[in-house]
Amino acid sequence: MNFDITQQESYSRSELLLRTLFGWLYITVPHVLVLFFVGIWSAILHFIAWWVILLTGRYPASFFEFHVKLLAWNMRLNAVTWNLADGYPAIGIAGSHPAISLDVPYPQSLSRGTLLLRTFLGFIYVTIPHGICLWLRMVATAFLNFLSWWSILFSGRIPESWFQFNVGTLRWMLRLNIYMANMTDSYPPFSGKPITAAEPVAI
Amino acid sequence: MTETIALPQPHELSQREKDDALAAYLMNFAAWGAGLPIPSLNLIAAWVYFLINRKKNRFVAFHCFQACTSQIPTTLINMIGVGMFIDYVLILNRDLPRFFWPYVGFAVVTNLMYLASSIYACVLAAKGRVHYFLVFGRWAYARYYGPHAIALDGSPAHRNLPPAGF
Repeated sequence: MNFDITQQESYSRSELLLRTLFGWLYITVPHVLVLFFVGIWSAILHFIAWWVILLTGRYPASFFEFHVKLLAWNMRLNAVTWNLADGYPAIGIAGSHPAISLDVPYPQSLSRGTLLLRTFLGFIYVTIPHGICLWLRMVATAFLNFLSWWSILFSGRIPESWFQFNVGTLRWMLRLNIYMANMTDSYPPFSGKPITAAEPVAI
Repeated sequence: MTETIALPQPHELSQREKDDALAAYLMNFAAWGAGLPIPSLNLIAAWVYFLINRKKNRFVAFHCFQACTSQIPTTLINMIGVGMFIDYVLILNRDLPRFFWPYVGFAVVTNLMYLASSIYACVLAAKGRVHYFLVFGRWAYARYYGPHAIALDGSPAHRNLPPAGF
């Protein structure tokens, strides 16, 4: 899985202030309204995909593409609301953002055993350990987001290490979502760093 | 001159087409997936799925249409039962009529029969084969293939053929 956000050389202060004051109105409300209904559809497709995996050992390709696009939409929304990218996040699964890239390889086959294990025991070996680590990381991310806000306001920039840390948090959440949505059999690493091809753990 | 449409045979279909077709019948379980026990939700989900797939591919569209339309009778039966219960018990605050429980029995039998035929159609669709439902199978066939469809020589194991009478 490859997910990245290109860091801008400078961020718009006016967009930052506009987002902070009115973002809930022109970004959050319309996105959440549409995402609510798309989310119901997504839940239905996840449920059906679960049965298809159990019966055939494959994730339906069209469902997979839909879910990858939905994840990309969520990431667009998160990136903009976390001030990691300027611009308005496109509404809809067909949209894109020039600074954000997401690529999830389609698995040719999925293990039925892993599917059942994840469904019935996933909360023990995935949700609890990752949840604890991610919660701690989210606290740090929220703090860095607060500092980044001031950094953009005064300098128009975000320090690269802060930016990469926050992108890493999104990447970690994404890997967790992909695993729990049965879209891969590879256990998500306890890290937000991008995984290169040379490393053994692949998602 | 009328264009002839070849009825697709299992070996001519891609895995993606087979998966999309089998998923059409699994829309019967949509209400479980969404966690909303609304009798019409399965029909709505099947209809949305049909709208998404109706122009993609004739084989997938046929299965989506058949899965969607064949749900109408059971959905109506379920909605009448739920409506009756809500009307008598929750709105009028009266005892249920004597025919209510026999009606529930009838609804359960109808749903089980539909479920069994859906699972059968689902399994066949996964193999690229066609199962024609009573009435709705012919309707779907007439819509997507019509009287001019022909079954070309298919795989030696199974051949998809038009429904009887076409």
